[in-house]
Parts: sequence; structure tokens; C-alpha cells
Amino acid sequence: MNRAEELSAAQTALAGSLGEAPALGGAALAGDAWLEVPAARWRDACRAARELPALGFDFLRCLTGVDRPEAGRIEVVAHLFSYRHRRALTLKTSVPRDTPELDSVAGVWPAADWHERELWDLLGVRLRGHPDLRRLLLPEDWPGHPLRKDWQEPDHYRGIPTRRAAPQTAGELAKQTYVAVRGVPSAAPKAGPASPGEDG
Amino acid sequence: MGFDLGMLLGFLLVSGFALLGLLLLGKPLRPHRPEASKTSTYECGEPAVGPAWFNFNNRFYVIALVFVVFDVEVALVVPVAVVFRELVADGAGLLAFTEMFLFLAVLLVGLVYVWARGDLTWVRALDAGECREVELGPRSSTP
Amino acid sequence: MSTDDRPVIEAGPEGGFAVGSLDSLLNLARKHSLWYLLFGTACCAIELMQTGGPRTDADRFGFVFRPTPRQADVLILAGTITYRMALRIRRLYEQMAEPRYVVAMGSCANTGGLFQMSYSVVKGGDLIVPVDVYIPGCPPRPEALIEGLMLVQQKVEREPWLAKVRGRVADPPDPWPEGKESTE
Repeated sequence: MNRAEELSAAQTALAGSLGEAPALGGAALAGDAWLEVPAARWRDACRAARELPALGFDFLRCLTGVDRPEAGRIEVVAHLFSYRHRRALTLKTSVPRDTPELDSVAGVWPAADWHERELWDLLGVRLRGHPDLRRLLLPEDWPGHPLRKDWQEPDHYRGIPTRRAAPQTAGELAKQTYVAVRGVPSAAPKAGPASPGEDG
Repeated sequence: MGFDLGMLLGFLLVSGFALLGLLLLGKPLRPHRPEASKTSTYECGEPAVGPAWFNFNNRFYVIALVFVVFDVEVALVVPVAVVFRELVADGAGLLAFTEMFLFLAVLLVGLVYVWARGDLTWVRALDAGECREVELGPRSSTP
Repeated sequence: MSTDDRPVIEAGPEGGFAVGSLDSLLNLARKHSLWYLLFGTACCAIELMQTGGPRTDADRFGFVFRPTPRQADVLILAGTITYRMALRIRRLYEQMAEPRYVVAMGSCANTGGLFQMSYSVVKGGDLIVPVDVYIPGCPPRPEALIEGLMLVQQKVEREPWLAKVRGRVADPPDPWPEGKESTE
């Protein structure tokens, strides 16, 4: 079946399980379509997506979020894949930005454990029922949630400045090194960056 | 006495001076700047959790002991096996075989004893007062 | 003040001898035995491993890797430094015994590299520990890393070692004084 049929089949299956049909969004034939469920039914929808034989999405590829300040909401997106049926599905929900709380699906897919920790770390979405909700990538005492659109970078973190005092390039630093060590500049100055990524 | 006391004295002097040299020669040549952070326990950059000294499980000792006994047994059997052909040619084959058999049987009794006591099981549970063997089943999923 | 006099090495058919000031002789011995800490965070660590490999053998210079900071002389910051890692790097640097040298290898350790705009990346290793040598590159080739380590050797050669031992040479300024009490 093509993607549009798969999606509507998934929609019907989830509707049967949840009692209400999830909304269809995006362009089906472009492969961009998703099913959206209300945040209150998030865990039920995920459990149905995994356990219903017709759906069987046993692989959580990614669980992430997008901050939408213009709508006042944070979207949570789950990319699922079914090894049995060889097809993918995107499930979405959204939570209000002021009280971003959502049920944890770590009990449905164990992989969601760390993905939800990242949601908490970078977007501030609190997952209810998560076994160990703490920051994953940033230090424990980091201020704020950086992937929010209105996050401001602090000037210092524990005394480390977050911007370099002088915008020095690596080439200038290397020249300083030569002068400091040998007393004379390098004999063969480099003309431009020698490899991509070197700022010189 | 068949050995040279002079050589012994030489040995003692050289080793003593070597020791003193190793300990003392470096002192004026290296910096000495002790700090609390420098002498802190190394744990790959993390703050150290728990003490650096801890009790080893004594099953290592038991297994090593059993190993040593049977290693020596093998070492004592091998020379007999090497010359066994000659012993047979000399007519002492049956005697050697019986001796070795009795030797191994004595040590086999010891092995059976250690085995029955449970000293050879590696994976044990640490229940209160009891160290029993544990069945390793399928791993449970993460909570 | 630097000791510029290298020892004079005379090699004869039956051996030879070296004549120089005690500083120069000690520095000669030290510079050929700079052990680096087996440490790396990102792609530059792969190049560091290759530099220790057979093709660009770093061992022939005397650069041996050690897994513990107690036995290491050089800390090579090979790779991107995040704020979370900065605390560990600082602790490792503090646990190294003097004499210790720091080499910032690659763009990320120099200035934050191509992640300069990121919120989680420290914009250069010299914001955490005092750096002696900067090696540009992304990643620097093993030959470039060897050149950087040879610059460390030249720095060692020029050091007033005995004055340093007796505490008459000031330490380089500490870029992160709060790092001393950093714990997590």
C-alpha cells in the first residue's frame, strides 16, 4: 500500500484503540505526514502504536521536540518504525509552553528513557512517570533550556567565560606560540587555512 | 664457608647506595608542590566515589589456592610421563602407573571435597550469612 | 630568562660525553622523555592515536602515552571541550605533577573550532587550563602534532629548570581560578 493508505490505516487503528481519531497533518505523498494526538492520550497512543498487531511499531527511532513560541506550545515528535511491517510513522503531540508536562513513554520503548532526558534537558518538557529525569548532555547546574527560542546564553558558567575575550583565530594563536617558544615567528607562514574548519 | 664475604659486603653497599640514591638524588632536582587537589584520588577526572581500599572477594584466594595445588600436581606428573616408555622397557611400568594412579587419586579426593563444598562456583549471591550459587537467567529490561 | 646553552656533546669512537650546565643536561634528559596523558575527546584524538602509531611513530621522540595523570608530563587537549568535560579536564590537570605542559590540539581546543556558536562548547582550552602550545588544524595531521610536541621540547630545553624547582619562577597565570573548587 502507498503511504497515504498506510497512514489512514494507522489512523483507523489508533482511532479504534483511543476512541477518537488522531488528526492527520502534513503532505502524505511527500512522506512528511504525521498523526497528531492530544497530550492527554500520548501514552495510550504510543502503547497502541507498539502493541496493536496491525501497527506493531516496536522501534522508536527518535523522540524529540520543537519549540513553537508563536503558538505558545512545544511540539513533541516521535519517529517510529515497524520491523515487522517495514513501515514508519510519525506521531506528534504538543504541550503548552508555560506548563510543559507530558506522560513518559519509557515504559513503552526503553530507548525513550534517554530521549526524554534530552527533552527535559534542552526544552524543559517535564515527563511524568520517568524513572530518572535529569539532564543528559548539559551539566546538572546549567541555567535554562537552550533549545527554547527565547533562551539567553549566560556570560559565565562557573567562572568560564562563554565568549572568547579577543576573537583570536587558531592561526594567530599558533604564531603566538612560535614567538613564545622560539623567540622568532615561524619560518614558513601558512597562506590561508590548510584544511576545512581551520580558521586562519 | 665457601663464599666470599667481601662480595657480600660489596652487594650490600651497592644496593644500599642505589636505594639511597634513587630516593634522595631526585629531591633537589624536582619540584615539590603538594596540593590537596593534586593528591586527590584519580578516577578518570571524576570526583572519587568511595574509598580506594576495599575488600577483595575471597573467592579469588580460594580459586588460586586450588589452582596452585593442581598445577604442582601436573608438574609432578609430567616427568613421569616423559620417561614412561623407558620405565616400561625396564619392567617398572606397572609400578609407576600404580604410584601415579594413587597420587592422582589422593588429589582427586581433595578436588571432590572442594567441589562439593561449593568453593569452585564463581557466581554467588550475597545473602545475609549465606553464599549460594546463583542461576543466571535472561537479563531483565531496564526499569 | 632562558638557558640557551645546550650541552656540548662530543662523540668519540669509544663513546662520548656531554658538557653543559646542570640545567641544560637535565633539560636534555627531560625533553626526550615527555610522556603524554592518554586523553582525547573528539576527532583529534583519532589523529593523536595515529601519531602514536607505527607510521608517525611518536615513541621515537620519547613521547609515550600514560593512562594516569600522575605519570604524565604533557596534557594534549585533543578534541572539542564541553562545559561538562571542562570540569574533568581541570581535575586531570590538577592531578598531574609538575612539570606539566598543555598542548591545545586542533581548532576546537584552540578557540572552540567549528562549534564556536554552540551553547555547550568551551571556546578554547586556554579558558580552563594554561596552554603552552597551540596546534591549528581540523584535525592537525600527525606531522603537525609532532611539530607541536617538538615545540614543547624546545620550550623544555629553554626552561630555567633549577630556578623553577626552587620556586624562583612565577607560574603562568591561571585562566580559571574557580576551577580549583570545581566539583560536580
